[in-house]
Amino acid sequence: MGYEKRIFICDTDGGNIKPFEDALNANLRAEGLVEKVQIVRLADAGIYRKGVMVKVTPENIVYIDVKMDDIKKIVDSTVKMGQAAPDIAQKPPEKQLKIVLRNCGNVDPERIEDYVALDGYKALSKVLESMNPDQVIDEMKKSGLRGRGGGGYPTGLKWSFARKVQDDQKFIICNGDEGDPGAYMDRSVLEGDPHSVLEGMTIGGYAIGASKGFLYIRAEYPLAVARVEKAIEQARASGFLGKNIFGSGFDFDLEVRLGAGAFVCGEETALIASVEGKRGCPRPRPPFPAVKGLWNKPTIINNVETLANIPYIFLNGAENFAKIGTESSRGTKVFAVTGKVKHSGLVEVPMGTTLREIVFDIGGGILDDKKIKAVQTGGPSGGVIPENFLDTPVDYDNLGKLGSIMGSGGMIVMDEGDCVVDISKFYLGFCVDESCGKCAPCRIGGKQMLTILEKISQGKGELSDLDNLRKISFAMKKASLCGLGQTASNPVLSTLRYFELDYKQHVVDKRCFQGKCKDLFVFTIIQDKCKKCSLCQRNCPVDAISGSREEGFLIDQKKCTRCGRCFEACKFDAISR
Amino acid sequence: MQKLDEIKNKFQQTQKGSWIKVGMSTCGIAAGADVVMAALKDEARKNNVSVRIEQCGCAGMCFAEPLVEVFVEGVPQVTYGAVKEDTARAIIQKHVMGKEILNDYIYKMQ
Repeated sequence: MGYEKRIFICDTDGGNIKPFEDALNANLRAEGLVEKVQIVRLADAGIYRKGVMVKVTPENIVYIDVKMDDIKKIVDSTVKMGQAAPDIAQKPPEKQLKIVLRNCGNVDPERIEDYVALDGYKALSKVLESMNPDQVIDEMKKSGLRGRGGGGYPTGLKWSFARKVQDDQKFIICNGDEGDPGAYMDRSVLEGDPHSVLEGMTIGGYAIGASKGFLYIRAEYPLAVARVEKAIEQARASGFLGKNIFGSGFDFDLEVRLGAGAFVCGEETALIASVEGKRGCPRPRPPFPAVKGLWNKPTIINNVETLANIPYIFLNGAENFAKIGTESSRGTKVFAVTGKVKHSGLVEVPMGTTLREIVFDIGGGILDDKKIKAVQTGGPSGGVIPENFLDTPVDYDNLGKLGSIMGSGGMIVMDEGDCVVDISKFYLGFCVDESCGKCAPCRIGGKQMLTILEKISQGKGELSDLDNLRKISFAMKKASLCGLGQTASNPVLSTLRYFELDYKQHVVDKRCFQGKCKDLFVFTIIQDKCKKCSLCQRNCPVDAISGSREEGFLIDQKKCTRCGRCFEACKFDAISR
Repeated sequence: MQKLDEIKNKFQQTQKGSWIKVGMSTCGIAAGADVVMAALKDEARKNNVSVRIEQCGCAGMCFAEPLVEVFVEGVPQVTYGAVKEDTARAIIQKHVMGKEILNDYIYKMQ
């Protein structure tokens, strides 16, 4: 008991650390240090493909690519003397930078004191005590913060429009209607650090002259709703919401509104209709909500992540915030990295970080070490970015140039086994389901595109279908009423742009080499390679494989459901697709 | 500003000593964080250990939920991942009481 030092070890390549541990242990024993130093094996070091990692505490010196020969050097210099050993590479700096997620996983979201202890509500008190609304808006403009919900409109500019309009009542709304498949950044922020969103909204309310705000959160997030409601109560009880906040004479209060799960309600005019208690349908703009919004009053709608940035900006200064990121996109972005990636989760990186860094250095690479095919960003409104563009720095403009969008931050990683026709069908199907039906280009165009894609995946496609897809996409982009219809064709267009060959294989060769479109491939046993082990037969859930270990096996194509279990089970690559 | 300082100072008085934080967002709870939380509290009570066991939000490493972050005086601050009920009990017994860090469960260090 009572170790003086600890050595943390981990093989970041995922190999066996035991031989290294034994050698290190032997060295410590020879030096008589076994009683004083504890060796701890890590499950994961947060860095990948960097050989053996060694961290010595309390010095906090971290080495990577450590070889067996280096053990003596580390023990002699770092363990005994507390100094960094020369000639061994140290850990590169952290790729993530947490601003929005600064408190997530740190504070108790149901206790306001936790947030206050980490300088929570200090930005609000600074704003109310020493700045007038115009100064607040100037500061926001200087920070260069752009809307994190997907559009990327400069937040300071948006606020200034609502500020200029004269009216007796204005509103600020937090858009927490996160609906992109695979995206859950906003949920985590609302659940993990609700007060930073409330603080951001109150500052926004002061800037535009609103006395009332609404948090529009989807009902599928019950925990987020409960925590936000509790946070509002606590903020009210502490005097950070309500009348005369911080003795400044500024009144502001918040209320939660639940969304019933319609994707289109994330669009601002549809969201306003929903808050008003009407059916969630968009309306043509202008007038923009900043001029005529909720109940025809000037209304600002900001995304959860945008709002969570605001306290940081006022605490640390707009200039310091603007130093982070790229020329056109300042600050950081939170991504929900999911799909075929080893370590799925939330990452927050400065703008300008490359997709490759996000997927490989932070996400740990592709599941089962397969080849990466593409990364899908922006959900159903976004597109795919193929492997050869992975070194593009991520910001609003670069992703736009590649035919995708930043979106709210969903990032789905696809490997070589994913079929682009199947993926386009999924996203388009999502938008067809979620279309409100008000305007024809979205309602009819989406349905027609989906019909064509289904035809292609059934092997009935013709080359002219690809042109038709492009034509309908163009019409939807030009003529749809809101963002949903204008962007619904993006997944199809971007896959057509980068993976036209895959489409042609479906249309011309009538083959789906990824084994996703069930009508376009069959599983057959290659008899020359088959070792008659019977694994395929035992794994088949529908008894479609007949035969015996003596005579060999055959797949009955009429019974086969193309589930692919036999394909995965075969150890000799004896099943072809 | 003055009021904030009052709240802060008063709160910090109560925040001394060892603590454990369990990630209790949707991702954590789905992976079993509530069971882990109960096991930690139960084991601490049984052994009469004084340690604050609190909840927090999602730390981003959803692949390794449930996450349990532990701070004990004189021991480096670490985050255990993929914690099950038995690991939770071992955290109280070995890490908190014995000041010995558990092998093979750490996903993040301070």
